[in-house]
Amino acid sequence: MTPTQIKPSLPTLTLNVNGKLHSFMLGEGLHEVSPSHTLAYTLRERLGLTGTKISCDEGACGCCTVLMDGKAVLSCILLTVECGEKEIVTIEGLEDPETGELDPLQQSFIDHTAFQCGFCTPGIIMSAKALLVENPSPTRDEVKEALSGNFCRCISNYHVLDAVIAAARKGGGE
Amino acid sequence: MKNFAHYNARSVAEATHLLAAYEGKAKLNAGGSDLIGVLKDRILPDYPEAVINIKTIPGLNTIEENDGGINIGALTKLVDIINSPLIKKNCPVLKETARTVASPQIRNVATLGGNLCQDTRCWYYRYPDGIGGMIKCFRKGGKTCHAVPGENQYHAIMGAKKCFAVCPSDTAVALTALGAVLTVAGTKGTRTLPVEEFYTPLGNMLALDEMITSVNIPKPDPAAEQAFLKFTLRKPIDFAIVSVASVITLDQGICADARIILGAVAPTPVRAHKAEEYLKGKKLSDDTAAEAAMLATVGANPLSKNIYKLEIVKTLVKRVINSGSCLS
Ligand SMILES: Cc1cc2nc3c(=O)[nH]c(=O)nc-3n(C[C@H](O)[C@H](O)[C@H](O)COP(=O)(O)OP(=O)(O)OC[C@H]3O[C@@H](n4cnc5c(N)ncnc54)[C@H](O)[C@@H]3O)c2cc1C
Ligand code: SF4
Ligand code: FES
Ligand code: FES
Repeated sequence: MTPTQIKPSLPTLTLNVNGKLHSFMLGEGLHEVSPSHTLAYTLRERLGLTGTKISCDEGACGCCTVLMDGKAVLSCILLTVECGEKEIVTIEGLEDPETGELDPLQQSFIDHTAFQCGFCTPGIIMSAKALLVENPSPTRDEVKEALSGNFCRCISNYHVLDAVIAAARKGGGE
Repeated sequence: MKNFAHYNARSVAEATHLLAAYEGKAKLNAGGSDLIGVLKDRILPDYPEAVINIKTIPGLNTIEENDGGINIGALTKLVDIINSPLIKKNCPVLKETARTVASPQIRNVATLGGNLCQDTRCWYYRYPDGIGGMIKCFRKGGKTCHAVPGENQYHAIMGAKKCFAVCPSDTAVALTALGAVLTVAGTKGTRTLPVEEFYTPLGNMLALDEMITSVNIPKPDPAAEQAFLKFTLRKPIDFAIVSVASVITLDQGICADARIILGAVAPTPVRAHKAEEYLKGKKLSDDTAAEAAMLATVGANPLSKNIYKLEIVKTLVKRVINSGSCLS
């Protein structure tokens, strides 16, 4: 049904993910993006960026957190078609593009064994990254607040706090 | 998620005309933090044919001071309300309330208009179609309410008829306390509507072709004490079991004016009129607070499993009266 002269969204879409542009046709085809696809789905199933995890798939756990224009957002409740003009950064985008070295924040998670199964980790790191970009030397309470939308079933929370604080001390926010 | 046609509305007129053209079979998408879950779980009797992105409408995301008070565009994100010096100075209760909504990631996308218009959280209503089939009830045009004979521990304790789901919006409670007025646009023009009158037993007052464009808060008396308290099981990412917002004006220790609003106890935010009237002219003390708290529960009619909410109402009402400032 096209009941008015108002036109649906453009038939093509360009996403900016980790500094690279990706163009898609809108549609139901194998390589296309459908209007009902979430950003999390597109990242994983169209771009192969499987670092972003999907767990609850409805905004309640934080596993799918990515950065959109520098802010932590949940990619499972964003429609890909509405992300065209945005800069998206996923966990894969944190490493140094030239040397391939991990972001100091990622390294700090390794150094502090800040995960067990690791399923929540990309989401937690992206939330922590958003915090450190905005506030390079947060207090422990500020870290807790910034990570309050990320669940960890393995209870790595204390190690996570240590890892984020240590990364902040080393200037990992920059 | 099942597919739909997708539009990026460039103006309020486009959005409202699309709503009209789809005759109820289109949904507006603001932050999407409520809508996308609703669509994924296919809880609605009629899956929408179209989704209309309204984030592409310019000019609806500002917070401004005008003669009438503070004007907040419907697309203003909760994070921007929390960080606004204007809100902090004039309506700290709205800031405190917005801070308790969901999680940081959700507050980064969630809008004020979406918060007010979000769908109910009744767990029968929300039951996903994918696991056993969508559940019909009064709110979906069905013939029964499953909560009354069923699991109703988080349902209404007052003011409900047919549907006992509570209004899930936290900001509605604070905005009712502040006497806020909505501007609503439709294909035939705009109108205003107090937040206090926005909710109906089975939904809200918006017609098929209408959307909220802004929220106007009359400037509160600078001397008024504003407070919001929200009782939840978990601190982050949880809806209120009971919340209370208050705006109380004191004149040398005597209450000159009081607005006390209860949240999550009914299908609408509830003004505790009896408690408000009682407090006026009284000196605030533990005793007057206790009496007001008792009056706030007059007329309650709990279901089989939620009588406990009455005690929470009383405790929170006492606390907002005694705290005298914004705590949460
Ligand atoms: C895990 C989780 C926890 C949550 N916790 C809370 C909480 O503690 N407190 C709380 O209050 N809410 C909570 N929410 C609910 C909700 O996501 C937020 O309240 C949010 O503010 C909704 O805003 P949005 O812009 O994302 O709305 P959307 O999802 O975009 O829209 C919600 C509904 O409102 C309609 N709508 C949107 N904008 C307008 C408008 N301008 N005019 C008319 N209709 C409109 C849409 O069509 C849709 O039906 C939670 C949600 C999740 C997923
Ligand atoms: S409380 Fe309302 S939404 Fe829930 S089952 Fe009853 S009628 Fe349906
Ligand atoms: S998968 Fe997105 S919040 Fe849980
Ligand atoms: S490490 Fe397993 S969920 Fe967090």
